[in-house]
Amino acid sequence: MSMLEELKELGVDVDGGIKRLSGKESLYERMMFKFLDMMKKSVVSPDFDNDNYMEVIEAAHALKGAAGNLSVTPIYEAYGKIVDLLRTQKPDEARAVLTDVLPIQEKILDCIAKHANA
Amino acid sequence: MDKEKTILIVDDVEINRIILADIFEENYNIVEASSGSEAIQLINGNPDIAAVLLDLLMPGVSGLGVLEDMNNTGKIKSIPVFLITAAESDAVLMEGYHLGAVDVIRKPFMTQFLQCRISNVIELYAHRNALEDIVARQVAQLKEINQSMVETLATIIEFRDCESGEHVKRIGKFTRIMMTEVSNAYPEYYLPKKEIDKIVTSSILHDIGKISIPDSILNKPGRLTAEEFDIMKQHTVKGCEILQNIPDIMDKGIYSYSYDICRHHHERWDGRGYPDGLSGDDISIWAQVVAVADVYDALTSERVYKAAYSREKAVEMIYNGECGTFNPKLLKVFRGALEQL
Repeated sequence: MSMLEELKELGVDVDGGIKRLSGKESLYERMMFKFLDMMKKSVVSPDFDNDNYMEVIEAAHALKGAAGNLSVTPIYEAYGKIVDLLRTQKPDEARAVLTDVLPIQEKILDCIAKHANA
Repeated sequence: MDKEKTILIVDDVEINRIILADIFEENYNIVEASSGSEAIQLINGNPDIAAVLLDLLMPGVSGLGVLEDMNNTGKIKSIPVFLITAAESDAVLMEGYHLGAVDVIRKPFMTQFLQCRISNVIELYAHRNALEDIVARQVAQLKEINQSMVETLATIIEFRDCESGEHVKRIGKFTRIMMTEVSNAYPEYYLPKKEIDKIVTSSILHDIGKISIPDSILNKPGRLTAEEFDIMKQHTVKGCEILQNIPDIMDKGIYSYSYDICRHHHERWDGRGYPDGLSGDDISIWAQVVAVADVYDALTSERVYKAAYSREKAVEMIYNGECGTFNPKLLKVFRGALEQL
């Protein structure tokens, strides 16, 4: 199965993402590889400090924006919620959302990584 | 659509920059900045930038910081800025609008609308900037025409006065030097350069009223009788009457300076001048400056009724009060000003 088909099964709106790039499928694939790099570089971990999470907001905000533009829907929606919850000082609820999304996030990233290395 | 226009994309996330670049690169040149400080450098160094797509939340200088810099440099007036936002607070977006941003681009990007919105605004700004250029050129032309009309008028009067026209030029030059000196030396007399420029233009009209003085008095080789002198003194008031009849040939500022200078360039610090017998700082500083310049130039020039005095003799006469009393602060800068003549 191709990367894009696998990603569709993992809830990524591949068609919407490609449409945003004027139908350029190969550009979309390249962007997904860059997205993988970005996710690796700015890991948002659930063990963040409950009193000091400004950097977590910034990282989550950036990931949300990129995920949204590539229509990586599960990650976009989860990080959107995380940003909102942290901005309204609800770190425990934000942590719960993050913990919930991590398994699917891992699958999406593994899928991209597999094809990036292929 | 031409590709001479450039869009600057500012976002610290490369994916967002690439997606935006992909949307616009068919019709525009694209430059990218990954930080606020890089964006500021590009905006200030690239005259072809027609629009800025600006992320708000970036490490270091934020999008708002870039907007503030564009306000400081005035670039915000000619370059439309679109804020890229995922979900910044309303307060941040409002601040962006207050700093001159024209619109907000929300992530995820809506490609087809983005192209239309941004292209429309770029065209609108290009049209507005072109109109502003035309207006600025026309204003400059009008100013030149005004200036040359004023100079022509002043020169005509000089010729009538058997002068070469050089007198008014010297008065203008000396007025600029003296006004600049006195403005720099005394805060109470401070005036911005723009105002000094107007005063210089106005100074050359100081004797416009002489056009109404009969030749027999104006060009009399000998000393004037008391009665003739009374008529001669009328050139100050007559000058104002002439100006009142031609207010439209000059802008309001120049008209008001010219009027004041015409009327009061023969007033003296001790109140013994004419026509109103004003004293001290009841006489405007520009009328005082033109008075000194006029006296100095008259002393050092040959006239039908006298030979030219040397520079040293003229200075001595002015300091001795032989030509009336002048503001001591003005006399303090007078010598320094002379050296620049």
